Amino acid sequence: MSIREELNQWMLDNLTGEFEKIRWRGGPGDEDSSPELRRAWEQKFGEAGWIGLQWPKEYGGRDLSLMDFVEFNEEYARHGGPGRAGHIGETLMAPTILAYGTEAQKERFLPGIKNGSELWCQGYSEPNAGSDLSNIKTKARLEGNHWVIDGQKIWTSLAHESDWIFVIARAEEGTKGRDGLVFLLVELDQPGIDIRPIHQISGTAEFNEVYFTEAKAEASNIIGEVGEGWKIAMALLGFERGASTLGQQMMFQNELNLIIKTANENGRADDPSLRRRIAEAHAGLKVMRFNALRMLNGTQDGSTSKEGYISKIFWATWHRDLGELAMDVIGADAEIIEDELSPLQKLFLFSRADTIYAGTNQIQRNIIAERALGMPKEPRGNTNG
Amino acid sequence: MPPFPFQEDHEMIREAVKGWLSDWEDGGKTLHRVAKEGQGFDRAAWEGFARDQGMAGISIPEQYGGADMGLLGRTVIMEETGYTLFSAPFFSTCVLAADMIEAFASEDDKTDLLGKIASGDIIISVLDGREKLSLKDSKLNGTLSPATDAAHADLILVAAKDENNDVVLTGYSPNTAGLSVTPYASLDPTRSQAKVSFENVALSDGQAIGKANDVAFSQILQIAHGSLAAECVGGGQRCLDMTLDYTNQRVQFGRQIGSFQSVKHKCADMFIALESARSASYFAASPDLDNDHSAKFEAALIAKNYASEAFFKIAGDAIQMHGGIGFTWEYPLHYFFKRARGNRALFTSSEDGFQMLADEIGLKSHASAISGE
Ligand SMILES: Cc1cc2nc3c(=O)[nH]c(=O)nc-3n(C[C@H](O)[C@H](O)[C@H](O)COP(=O)(O)OP(=O)(O)OC[C@H]3O[C@@H](n4cnc5c(N)ncnc54)[C@H](O)[C@@H]3O)c2cc1C
Repeated sequence: MSIREELNQWMLDNLTGEFEKIRWRGGPGDEDSSPELRRAWEQKFGEAGWIGLQWPKEYGGRDLSLMDFVEFNEEYARHGGPGRAGHIGETLMAPTILAYGTEAQKERFLPGIKNGSELWCQGYSEPNAGSDLSNIKTKARLEGNHWVIDGQKIWTSLAHESDWIFVIARAEEGTKGRDGLVFLLVELDQPGIDIRPIHQISGTAEFNEVYFTEAKAEASNIIGEVGEGWKIAMALLGFERGASTLGQQMMFQNELNLIIKTANENGRADDPSLRRRIAEAHAGLKVMRFNALRMLNGTQDGSTSKEGYISKIFWATWHRDLGELAMDVIGADAEIIEDELSPLQKLFLFSRADTIYAGTNQIQRNIIAERALGMPKEPRGNTNG
Repeated sequence: MPPFPFQEDHEMIREAVKGWLSDWEDGGKTLHRVAKEGQGFDRAAWEGFARDQGMAGISIPEQYGGADMGLLGRTVIMEETGYTLFSAPFFSTCVLAADMIEAFASEDDKTDLLGKIASGDIIISVLDGREKLSLKDSKLNGTLSPATDAAHADLILVAAKDENNDVVLTGYSPNTAGLSVTPYASLDPTRSQAKVSFENVALSDGQAIGKANDVAFSQILQIAHGSLAAECVGGGQRCLDMTLDYTNQRVQFGRQIGSFQSVKHKCADMFIALESARSASYFAASPDLDNDHSAKFEAALIAKNYASEAFFKIAGDAIQMHGGIGFTWEYPLHYFFKRARGNRALFTSSEDGFQMLADEIGLKSHASAISGE
């Protein structure tokens, strides 16, 4: 049986009963929907052996090939599989541990990700380290058997739902920029950590400020060496791209279908300018899919192929435009909120974040110009935030 | 490793064609010559390319004497001819005409005409007269323009609708009684355009190629047009390459202009447009679609329209990034800008193309609701 058939059967048998409620829910921008249920789903999913399929067999994976993994993700999305509570752990943390972690770290952390019991969040951004991520001020010092951490992270998605956070911090006094950083794994449930939700554009709160006041992490919970924090942090971001983008596209397709349905129902399918925009959105999505196939087939070693650089800005901009299109297709009625934000209203508001997180569109253009096109580097100022 | 989704043999063809075309183009000099002579056509070069290099038959099936390298094969060629604006009827003859003949002609005509196309021994111009030509009492009347590559065609393959709304495809020698071909200057001087008039031209004076259902004809036509996406990608790549070279050397305010963020971001946007157009083009040519006619049609619609919009934007931005130099005749960028504008408007315009796509994806318009009844 192909992986697609295997998953198809399992989804038919298991995405039922109480889990019906979270079908198509909980994706980016919808993460506030039924967190408890999605946590339960993550564990069910993990127990069935669906997490970590690409990992080597010795760590409980299946060494799944890239194209099989693509199929797997598409099949999951085709069923309206709920947004995965464990996606940061599986797609970012696990590959980083597999690539840079010690044997003991693999034994300690991979099983929790694999069985869906330990959820992770990403502690990179700080008030003065956004696009300029290396301007990290959070400090870490080694005292006996522990790292002691002081400082503040911000915009930390799902910290309030998570068990662990990976943190970049400055471990060497007096260092600047990319030097002297460490990459630490920190348990959230402890007295030294204070998580304060931030309400966002939608009125809900999926991201947070995370304050560290003498927070502790075991001395062994460092990935790489002192001074290698930047290297590890960047490698982790490299894992962000990948087969899961094709699953994401199934969700996009679903949103576009909803827009087409709306336009047919309210008669705006007749408006030539909206017709053209919807057709262009459809074309953009097909292009996105082939962009991804080119990217995934381009390099086997995880490095970015030249065309791979356009992936983030392309989907982010496409999705943001889709949100605007959705509102224009609904027209004045889009102003009305019934009970809660509708899926298309959510799309409109949340897609504004797509062009900000994981490297803003401006930063993406800098990266394309410098790395894909070899243009001169941005000059750096010396005013420190 | 060849770039996805190409194979080793495609890349060998690409290398060969690239070198040959770059010699031909001679850093823009040849484009000036072609433009000056005012024909948009370089016969000697075409014969060299089609016959000596054997490129005319790239996607013609083997049984008719071609290399049978399919849509990917022609994509490679059109990307490279776009990069150099090769002024020759590859698209008209080896893509459009070849596809029409393969889809609708009899076995004998296929053997004859596809064989001649493959050996580089015939130039065919395809004219879609379904809207503008009248076909009554087996006579054609009306004028078609712009007629790409008709000025030097050995055979004019014209489509017209008969009383039953079927499409009748007929091939004419340019000397046929009542048929006149008037070349004229094209806004894009590297492409040959003409006006073709039909005055009581008898069907019986031409070679009956075939009959087709209107929808089937449109689909084959659009699939052929999809290959123009590759020309747009090649042309867009050239504009970006020229812009990167220029912004790298030009200094203003004591800096390379390529170090200004607004210039970098413009180039990044050009790259995004180019690479996504490339995906659209490769997608339409991808062998995965081979057995699915309607997916192929949709992919071709997307490719042609997406890529021609991208090419136009890239070419316009390239002129802006060059300042005054970009506005001169001497600097060859304007030829690309003009080709880009032509590709957006010719065959099917982008506007019409996206409206067709809207129908394809199930947007119910009032108009299609009526015609559907
Ligand atoms: C919904 C959401 C979820 C997030 N989740 C997380 C998370 O889980 N973990 C985490 O660590 N972070 C997270 N972030 C933070 C995100 O990564 C940052 O917001 C992002 O990196 C931008 O940083 P900033 O907000 O400080 O903006 P700034 O960097 O201050 O940018 C402000 C503006 O200046 C522009 N700009 C900055 N530098 C340049 C430059 N060199 N050239 C041109 N323009 C420039 C930017 O493009 C932007 O338009 C999240 C953000 C959002 C919106």
